[in-house]
This record gives sequence, structure tokens and C-alpha cells, in this order.
Amino acid sequence: MFRDITIGQYYEEQSNIHSLDPRVKLFGSVCYMIALFLADNIIGYALAAIFLYVTIKISKVPFKFIFKGLKTIVILLLFSVIFSVIFTDGTVLLDLKLFNITAQGLVKGIKLMARLSLMIMGMSILTYTTTPTDIADGLEKAFSPLKKIKVPVHDIAMMVSIAFRFIPILIEETDKIMKAQMARGADFENGGIIKKAKSMMPLIIPLVISSIKRAMDLAMAMEARCYRGGEGRTKMKPLIYKHKDIAGYLCLFALLAVVIAGNILWDILDINIYGFITPS
Amino acid sequence: MSIISIKNLKHRFIDRDEEGSVISEKMAIDDVSLEVKQGQFIAVLGHNGSGKSTFAKHLNAILMPTEGKVYVDDMDTEEDSKIWDIRQNAGMVFQNPDNQIIATVVEEDVGFGPENIGVPTEEIWERVNKALADVEMTEYRKHSPNKLSGGQKQRVAIAGVLAMKPKCIILDEPTAMLDPNGRCEVINTIKELNKKEGVTIILVTHYMDEVIDADYVFVMDKGKIAVSGTPKEVFSHPEKIYEIGLDVPHATEVAYLLEKRGIDIGRGILTNEELIEELLRRGYIENKSNSIHKTDSEDRSSLTNKINDRTGDRKETLLEVSGLSYVYSKDTSYEKKALDNVSFNIGQGEIVGIIGHTGSGKSTLICHLNGLNKATDGVVKYKGRNIYDKKESLSELRKHIGIVFQYPEYQLFENTVLEDVCFGAKNTGSTKSEAVETAKKSLEMVGIGEEFYNRSPFELSGGEKRRVAIAGVLAMNPEVLILDEPTAGLDPKGRDEILNMLKSLNKENGLTIIIVSHSMEDMAKFADRLLVMSKGKLIYNDSPRNVFKEYKELEKIGLSAPQPVYIVEGLKKKGMVSENTAITSKEAADIIYETALDSL
Repeated sequence: MFRDITIGQYYEEQSNIHSLDPRVKLFGSVCYMIALFLADNIIGYALAAIFLYVTIKISKVPFKFIFKGLKTIVILLLFSVIFSVIFTDGTVLLDLKLFNITAQGLVKGIKLMARLSLMIMGMSILTYTTTPTDIADGLEKAFSPLKKIKVPVHDIAMMVSIAFRFIPILIEETDKIMKAQMARGADFENGGIIKKAKSMMPLIIPLVISSIKRAMDLAMAMEARCYRGGEGRTKMKPLIYKHKDIAGYLCLFALLAVVIAGNILWDILDINIYGFITPS
Repeated sequence: MSIISIKNLKHRFIDRDEEGSVISEKMAIDDVSLEVKQGQFIAVLGHNGSGKSTFAKHLNAILMPTEGKVYVDDMDTEEDSKIWDIRQNAGMVFQNPDNQIIATVVEEDVGFGPENIGVPTEEIWERVNKALADVEMTEYRKHSPNKLSGGQKQRVAIAGVLAMKPKCIILDEPTAMLDPNGRCEVINTIKELNKKEGVTIILVTHYMDEVIDADYVFVMDKGKIAVSGTPKEVFSHPEKIYEIGLDVPHATEVAYLLEKRGIDIGRGILTNEELIEELLRRGYIENKSNSIHKTDSEDRSSLTNKINDRTGDRKETLLEVSGLSYVYSKDTSYEKKALDNVSFNIGQGEIVGIIGHTGSGKSTLICHLNGLNKATDGVVKYKGRNIYDKKESLSELRKHIGIVFQYPEYQLFENTVLEDVCFGAKNTGSTKSEAVETAKKSLEMVGIGEEFYNRSPFELSGGEKRRVAIAGVLAMNPEVLILDEPTAGLDPKGRDEILNMLKSLNKENGLTIIIVSHSMEDMAKFADRLLVMSKGKLIYNDSPRNVFKEYKELEKIGLSAPQPVYIVEGLKKKGMVSENTAITSKEAADIIYETALDSL
């Protein structure tokens, strides 16, 4: 049941996006998010979509993988759209007694959907093209100035990358324990919320206990291999900027600039999207 | 020169309660002294709880002596400034393959150690390349460790240690959680490293066949070194080894049994070849290997009745499996046929063993027998009723067919042993007092006494936990008990206890038992009938004797026969005349004894 989760999976391929420095990709994701939040109009979304399309093309990750990531959150997406359609006041398009569908609501809903799906697809391209270790390394390096104010950047990055390693193991273990308890007559499916929550105990307790045991084993194995924090550590794959990383940064700045410019332009021209559907 | 030198090492574990006063004390290591020379292959044997793992942890400065001294490469493990040098020089590989791999890519994990000790980047790459080549894992360097087999993961762990350029490697039960093929891979890797690279090896284990090639063996018992010497010397005293609760290699066992019956072929025989040679040399068996061409055709004749279902003679059929197929991830690129048209019957009161290498479909098969998995095709009938029928309740079925999964101790979760065992009984709908009654009965069946009832299941020993977990399934009052590798990770004594307990459950309570195992030796002694799986297909369904006769066919699918089969077949090749196949050491001794009588 847990095996269908695709977000956070790595897609093995040789491409210019895969080989970019993870810091560029992390910064890119942040830029892309900012752009999406700034964009409040069709031009902004179109720009983001074009940017995403080009990135996916370069990365050689098949589109069906990108959409698979969307599928898992389709319900969440629908809910947020429906809510924003229903709960926005404005010019009534359709009176449905209980609630009204308004022009503003509809526009807001569509915008929200565009924003969310562009966001998810953007994030999945990050995880499809960057290994968890690379992400952790990138985060560590990017935030390394914080070490000066005693933020344990290295430790956090190490924890993140270990977490990534153990997610599949724990998923498998959950599956196993579940089967074992079902064989002892446990019922995980029927009953109300309270009963269901209670029935989870035989699953959660063994899982927590075994995780603690794993954590202790792992800590011992790490110490046995001379791990003693970030101090004095060298890197097998150090992060060094190459030409294409600089090119990557330039592209990102360009994207930001264009989106901001587009926004300003839109405001100056004062194009009213509701203009033609609002009865004057 | 001694690479490791231990002087009067003692280690005391102290259990304290919340106020800090001592509850119990245990001497895990009690006055151990030994020396290990550079380049040696040392084995440390012992049952679970003998102190051998504690001992191993001292060599890597993970634990500090309570008394005595441990020197690694002349460095005192108690000296704080030396600790990282010691850990770099005495690398350690642990038991659980999953819990010692840190990175998400194989090569990065191998690089983890060198990174920690501050090796420059280019050199890390050289070391990683070399280490991966040494353990023959180069082609998997970009893989995720999660996709590797157990044996491969352990080889990655060994490479991770090798990349730190240690002078010696300590392996703490590296094969305990592996299947026979994985075990073989790891042991061969270790031997290669010792021979070719001259790395000092200290192997901690409870598998006897792994220590035959060691230079020196220490057998630990109750924190002390009970026996030590070369493998030949150590196994010259089988009675001492048995007394400690360990096994001896099969050839040694057969020789010992023969000696007791008056056929003396000398002590210290370790391998099948030595045994055969010694029997011939001393003239107990006549060497006629030149004149004898006993045919393959005779062997072939038995092949015709491979699937020889022997149930139903007198026994009532309980489970009927017909045409069972199961496809994983149907209609995707991962599609895999895990079960392919499998049919067999299980009779009331039988003990049926299922064997097959990892991935042959054994575990998938047992999940179908109580409806945890639903077949893509085919039918499972319990007492003549189709379990997939809409009218049949699966939860009802699961009361009758209990499954004990591999490492069942991981399913324990309650505060006390008794409550945990009650869980299954309560789920069958019985009242609290009934459940307690059933639980007590189940615990009695597995030999767990009253003194355990109120203890936490998490503070028990490995073997005890496992028995409590089995009791947890027995508490549902099943008629059929299915066990997946019930002896995995247990030492010989724990293994025998579990198997004897199951045997008596079968005899006295009439429980039908289906057991999945990797141990051919256990199956030879234990099962009435064997089902052999390969690539999702059932290829043999016959008595252990008839199945193991086909040892050549078994080898083709990555399995093997019990060692006694090879001893007797080896002798037959040399001209011993016998129609029988021996599947246990005792039978092998019997056959050799009778033949020897004839020839004397």
C-alpha cells in the first residue's frame, strides 16, 4: 500500500540538469517558487510553465513521471480549488442556493490550481534529478555560513540524508509488521476513528522500537568508521562550481527579472481580467 | 608481531534501576587473554550470549575494559587520543546489513570512512575503486544499497571498512542474517582478502563450517575462552563443543559417530574430502573407483516421479492449492510472476518443508495460504472450502491458519509477555479471561514459564522472544501453523530448541506445520515432505530423501543437499556399494558402518 509513493524518487539519467551543482538546483527551486507567488496573472504562469517545460526537456525525465507525481495529490488539489471557488465573494455567475459560484472565485480557483500543480511539478523535477545525498550536501554547503552562529548545519544535513536512506527500509518494515499483526487477527481497516487509531498501536510500537534499534546500530557503525561530526572531514564528491552552474544561475536571475517585470507591466497597463465578464 | 594483544580482559555489564542502585551484574567477558598476529585468520566461536560480540566491540574501542588491557597495534584502547587511530586500524563489520550502510549510493557509502578520517578527494576515489574491486562490487557502484541482496550489502560494508586501509577487520556475525548463497559470498570474500591482501581477519560466528579454514579458533562460553587451537585441535573434542551448545562440522560429526561404534578414523576430520580419504586409507571402504561406472541412468529413473504427492494415503486433506499464480505489479514494467501454476495438498498432521533460494516465491506462497495475498489465478481450499469465495471470511480463516513470519520478535508490542500473547486470542473474539487462559496454554506449549508472564517482552533473549512471538500466533488456536525461517539468526542450541518444540507441537497437539527454511540439514531431520520452489514454480513435492537424491538438480537452481548426502555420494563414487541415501549424519554413519562391516 505504501509502495506507490513517487515523490522523492530519483530518475537515473545523464543530462545537464542532473549534473548541475545541487546548490544551483536548490536556489532554482526557491526562485521558481518566488516567481510563482509573484505571478498573479496569465503571463506570469505562462512564463513559469515555459521555464518548467524547458527544464524538463533538458533533464530528459519523461513527462509521464512528472505527471505521476501530480496524481498522488490530485485530491488535495481538487479540494483546494473547490473551496476557493465556493468561498470567494464577488460577482455571482451561478446561484446554487447553498453557495454561489462567482467569477472571482472561478478565476482564483484556476489560478490556485495552476500555481499548485506548477509548484509540485517543479519540486518533483528537483528530486528526480538530484540524489538525496546531493540535496543534503547542497543544503549543507549553502547554509555553511550559519555554522559561525553555531547552527549545526552539518549534523542536520547528515540527518536528512540518513532519513532518505531509511525511508524505503521503514516502509518495507511497516508492510511486514502489518502482515504479521494481521496474521494475529489484527484489523486495520474496519471501525471508527478511535478504534482505528487504537488498532494502529500494534503497528506503531514495534516500528518505533525497531527504528530505535536501527538508530543505535547505525550510530555504532558510524562511530566504528571514525565518524565524529563535520570537523576535519573531507569530501568524496566536493561541490565546486563549474561554468554551467554559473550559466544556470544567470538563467534563474533572468527568470526572476522577467516575472517581476511582467508583474509591474501588468499593473501599469491595468488590464482587468474581469472587465469583460462583469456587467457594468 | 602481534596486531592485537589482550591481557586479562574483563567486562562487567551492570543493570541499574531508576534510582541508580544495582539490580544485576553480569560478567560478559571474564578474564580473556589472547594474541593475534598480523595476517592471521582468527575465528571466535560461541553461542548467543557467550560474550563473543562484547569481545568484538572491545577490539574497536566501542567498549572499554572493566579490567585488563586491550592493545590494537600497540595502542591502548583506553587512551582517548588513540581512539580514532584504533578504529581506523581495526575496522568493524556488523551483523545487520541494513543498519550499517549510511549513504544512498554504494560508492558514496564506501567513501564514508575515508571522508571521516580526512583523506584527500583524489585518494578517496582511488581507495573506493580499489575496495569495490576487492569485494567484486564495482559493477554495482552507482546502485542504491536497498536494491542489493543481503550478501552484496555485507560486501559493501566490508569494502567500506577496507577503504580505510585497516590492518585488521573484525566481523561480528556477518552472515547470521544471510541465506546460504549470501553466506558463501561473504565468507569467500573474507578468505580472499586474508590470502591476497594479507588483512588480518577476526571472524565472530556460530556457524562451524565458516571456521574450518581459520588459522586459529577461540571458542567462548560464559565469557571465558573454553577451547582454543587450530580448527583441527578444537574439533578433535566434539563432546566439549556439544557441551557448550554448539555444532561441529558434519564430517566431524560422522567421524565421531563412527568412532563411537568402533570405527576409528582419527580425530580432527573437518571436511567431507578428509573423511572420505581417511575411510579409504584405513581400508574401511575399498577404493574401486576405477572399475565402477555406476550409471547415471539409475539416477535418472527416479526423476520421472518428481511430483509425487504422498498426502491423502491415510491423512485427511486440510489445504488444497491448485493452479495458484500470482503476478506482482501487473501491467507495469515491473511485472513479475512470483508464483506460477503451483498445486499441492497439505494433509492433517503433516510437517511440510518449503525450500528454495531467495526470491523463488516461498514467502509469497505462504502469504496466499491464509489470504494475506490474493492469487491472480488459481484456488486455495481449506477443508474443501474455497477461501476466495465471497461467503468465506478471511479473518475466520486466519484463526485456523496461523503464520509466524521471519524474525517474529519484531511484532511484539505489549507491556508484558502475557498481554502480548493475549493479543491474538482477544482478536478471535474471546473474553479477557478466556484469552488469558489460552495465552497461558500457548506459552506453556512453547516452554515459556510463569516467571516470564509479567516481564517485558523486550528484555528477553533472542530465543525467548521468538518463542513468545510463536506463542502469540498459537494463541489464536490454529490448526495449521506456517513458519517462515523460524530458526534464522539463532545459534545451534536455540535452533534445536525451536525445532524440538515444533516437533512436539506436531506430535502432541496434532498441529499441522508448514515450515520455510534455508537449512537443508534442518529440513532433512524435521520435515515429512518437502516442496521445492524455483522461479515461482513448484518443482519437487516429495519426501526429503527423494528430493535430496536429486542433489545435482538442486544445485542447478542454487540449492544444495545436506552435507551427509555429499559424504555418502562421495563414497559411492569411490566404489562404496549402497542403495541408500543418507540425509542426516546419523544415517551416513549407519551406511558407512554397515559397508565397513562387509568389507572387513
